[in-house]
Amino acid sequence: METLLSRRRALLTGLAALAMPRKAHGFGEVGAFNPRVIVAGGKRLQAPRSSGPSAWSMELINRTSAPARLVPREVSLDRPELCNEPFALWAGDADVGSLTVAERRGLAKFIRLGGVLVVDDNDPQRGSFGRSVRRELLRVLPESPPVRLDASHVVYKTFYIVDRPVGRLLGPPTIDAIVRGKNAQVLLLAHDLLGALARSEEGSYSLETEPPGYDHRQHAIRFAVNIAMYVLCSDYKDDQVHAPFLMRRRAQAR
Amino acid sequence: MTERSFGVAEGVGPLLVWFLVVLLVTWLLVLLLESRGRRVSSWVLLSGVLSALLVAAAVLRPTRVTSRGADLFPKVVVLLDRSWRLGLKAGDKTREQLALSALHDLQARLKQARLEVLGFGEGAATPFSEGQADAGERPTDSDLTSALRALSAAPGERPKALVVVSDGRLTSPSEAATTEALRELGARLGVPIHTIQVGGRALPDASIRRVSTTGAAVAHQKIALQLSVGCSGGLACEDELPITVEELLHGEPAALLAQGSAKVRDGLATVELPFTLERAGRRLVRVKLQAPDGDQVPENNQRLLTFDVTRERVRLLHVAGRPTYDVRALRMWLKADESIDLIAFFILRTSSDAMQADESELALIPFPVDELFTEHLPSFDAVILQDIDAVEYKLERHLPALARYVRAGGGLIMVGGPSAFMGGGYAGTPLAEVLPTTLPEQGAPFDTVSFEPRTTQAGRAAPALLRVRELLGDHLPSMQGSNTLGPLRPGAIALWEHPDRRAGNAAMPVLALGESGDGRSIALGVDGTHLLEWSELGERGAGRAYGALWEGLVGWLMRDPRYESARLDLTHECRAGAPVSLSITRLPGAAVDVKVSLERLGEAAGGEPLPNKQLRMEGDVESATLPLGALSEGGYTATVRIGSAPPARLDFACERGGAAFADSRPDAALLERLSQATGGISLGAADAGSLQAPPRTHVESQRVVAPLLAPWIWALLAASSIGAHWYVRRRAGLI
Repeated sequence: METLLSRRRALLTGLAALAMPRKAHGFGEVGAFNPRVIVAGGKRLQAPRSSGPSAWSMELINRTSAPARLVPREVSLDRPELCNEPFALWAGDADVGSLTVAERRGLAKFIRLGGVLVVDDNDPQRGSFGRSVRRELLRVLPESPPVRLDASHVVYKTFYIVDRPVGRLLGPPTIDAIVRGKNAQVLLLAHDLLGALARSEEGSYSLETEPPGYDHRQHAIRFAVNIAMYVLCSDYKDDQVHAPFLMRRRAQAR
Repeated sequence: MTERSFGVAEGVGPLLVWFLVVLLVTWLLVLLLESRGRRVSSWVLLSGVLSALLVAAAVLRPTRVTSRGADLFPKVVVLLDRSWRLGLKAGDKTREQLALSALHDLQARLKQARLEVLGFGEGAATPFSEGQADAGERPTDSDLTSALRALSAAPGERPKALVVVSDGRLTSPSEAATTEALRELGARLGVPIHTIQVGGRALPDASIRRVSTTGAAVAHQKIALQLSVGCSGGLACEDELPITVEELLHGEPAALLAQGSAKVRDGLATVELPFTLERAGRRLVRVKLQAPDGDQVPENNQRLLTFDVTRERVRLLHVAGRPTYDVRALRMWLKADESIDLIAFFILRTSSDAMQADESELALIPFPVDELFTEHLPSFDAVILQDIDAVEYKLERHLPALARYVRAGGGLIMVGGPSAFMGGGYAGTPLAEVLPTTLPEQGAPFDTVSFEPRTTQAGRAAPALLRVRELLGDHLPSMQGSNTLGPLRPGAIALWEHPDRRAGNAAMPVLALGESGDGRSIALGVDGTHLLEWSELGERGAGRAYGALWEGLVGWLMRDPRYESARLDLTHECRAGAPVSLSITRLPGAAVDVKVSLERLGEAAGGEPLPNKQLRMEGDVESATLPLGALSEGGYTATVRIGSAPPARLDFACERGGAAFADSRPDAALLERLSQATGGISLGAADAGSLQAPPRTHVESQRVVAPLLAPWIWALLAASSIGAHWYVRRRAGLI
């Protein structure tokens, strides 16, 4: 169970980060992490998870040197703005229906440009969202079916050393992804990541984790930070220069 | 002159003639045997012989040949050694002067011969005229073998004799050539080869005779320089002779690469000096031998070697102050290029970040700033500093070394962001001096107003931006602010500029290229080039404009010929004191002024300036030649500015002796052996006038062939004689 102290600390840290005079306001923001939420078939991200993207940015700002947009925008799959940035988040809890031709074309263009898409199933127990997105992705990228990411994938070590994906739900111990070339471009999560990040206006977490607990929440946040770092640095932590250090760290952790 | 002779009818071959001779002799023998055994009368014998001869005449049909012609003077080819080596002394004169003097003697002596004078050096021999004697385009080699091969393969009249005028230090055949090989040289033409020795006595000389390397020069990899040092002419080389190997750099004293010494035994020493050239491209290396006192050929105590250093892969160091989409885009582009070996360090947390985790739970490693910028810096071909604060991340103390690295030939790209340029504490540092723009030390470090960078005239001419412009036209994505950059440094050019902000009297550069010493640097005062891929405009070029921009920038930084504004070369090897010209080739375009500046390499900045040159190239002109005049010994860099395009550069060496002077010893023995093997004679230069001309050549101008009798008369006579012989034999009772 999370303590009031930890909640307060997180909130204060976030507010402090907002108040802190950072060097880049305007200039320097154009390349900031921006978890844009995809709107497809008119389905929008609903409260309480609608605060998840900005909370994600907040955590990234607080914990890392990466800049992030605190007020992420929505973006439609059929709009040219989708290809204005290399990252988008597609979250939901119900079947997305059939994408229009324009939406499919927009999504294909985004992926082919090298964009990264995180698909977050907010109700993985039902799984209708995840299944429907996979179905639509297969129509868009028939040549690239999802594959299971190995436990050694860079997403587990881009900032924190994490053992497995965690969201509001513990979920499956691995994630599937659409890998094109050497890059995992579509991460398919069945852990309700936004549910773990979403906060109320008061600053407390909106949804309880399952199983509940501070550590679980922290692991979910760390995994979210890692995904953001993966978007910003791609496979930087796979560089040879990091290998001996990370091997030592993992050995110590065991 | 008229000559008369007899022959046989056309079409009668030697085989038929011999057959008839055999038949005739057999017939005569039969007659003789017959006459002895039966005591036949002499009429039978005579008529038998006559009939046999007339039958033979009827078959051969004898002709009378009348030819008219003249006795011509024989053709004699003089092969004059044109190697630069003949500039060496032979007594009071040079070998060249002795050779010309010998040629004059030959011309005076061989008036009864048709003399063709050819110069040989590299490849086929070419016609020689006295006016060429002082031209700078002299070959290094003395390749007699190739000259003789070309001569034997040439159509036309073959010479009756060859005269080789040389000091004998031939590249081919070498002194190790066997007598068989020398004989084979003469056998091709089937004429004697006479030789005239112009080498004189061997001079007291210690020299670098041969320089070779094992394998090609690759940046960052050790290369072994193998030197052969020779001592000749009675020069005492008892002590070890020191040798140094230095790299000639731009605007700086020569940098020592290796040193050693040569212990000469029996006039020869071999030394191996390993060294590493860190920078790719054309590098000049000076090898110096400290010769003992008494050395009379100082020109060959030093060699200036040009190494075209290649890279296995371009080794880049990418350091970013924080991860952003701009960092991501650059990293992904760099990683996608197989020819780039990328070492990256990104600052992922700051001292104020609250990670909420133990250190052991973080995948972060300390930024090895000291190790990177001291120990490993020379191993990189270029360094990209992207939005990193030099003060906060302790880069500040390494900036002098980084500036030296650039001047020594390294590449530098500073990519914009709040912590780049002024914002990163670079203003007023040594690194700022190697950037293409100045950095103001006061004022706002950056501006947050959105703008679309404007391509300058130089940017439109620059091959580095050609593909971006092909993809996007004259438009660029709107940037969210810009770093504050000062005016361009002398020689630097701006490819993009700010439409509103000013730097001094000109528009503020946004993307600028510059050279500093041997290195190149790029200042990019924005943090949004990823918008060339990730924007509506970028999408127009299918996202390829981003890769095109960075390919052009990194290519220019690494001196990839595709991104140079011109291709430069010398028209011929540069020799100290001899005129040399620069060949300039560019893409056809508008008429432009071409400015060429020359600087000496291996000297600290501020040396005596060399005069600049200028020419105009019209729109349809692709190439031009610009005389550089006669240069003194040393390394040079020619910087060529074609209109407003970024300058192109050629580093080259001018040697006093070069490889041609490497072995100053004349080789009279080789010339003597050559003459002996081919049936010629070998003479000293002073005796050239005593050479005998070969016999004259008779050349027919008219030839008339007329039959002695008509064929039917021969046939009638043969038939009559056979009939008479038959009658005589019958009367004698032999039938």
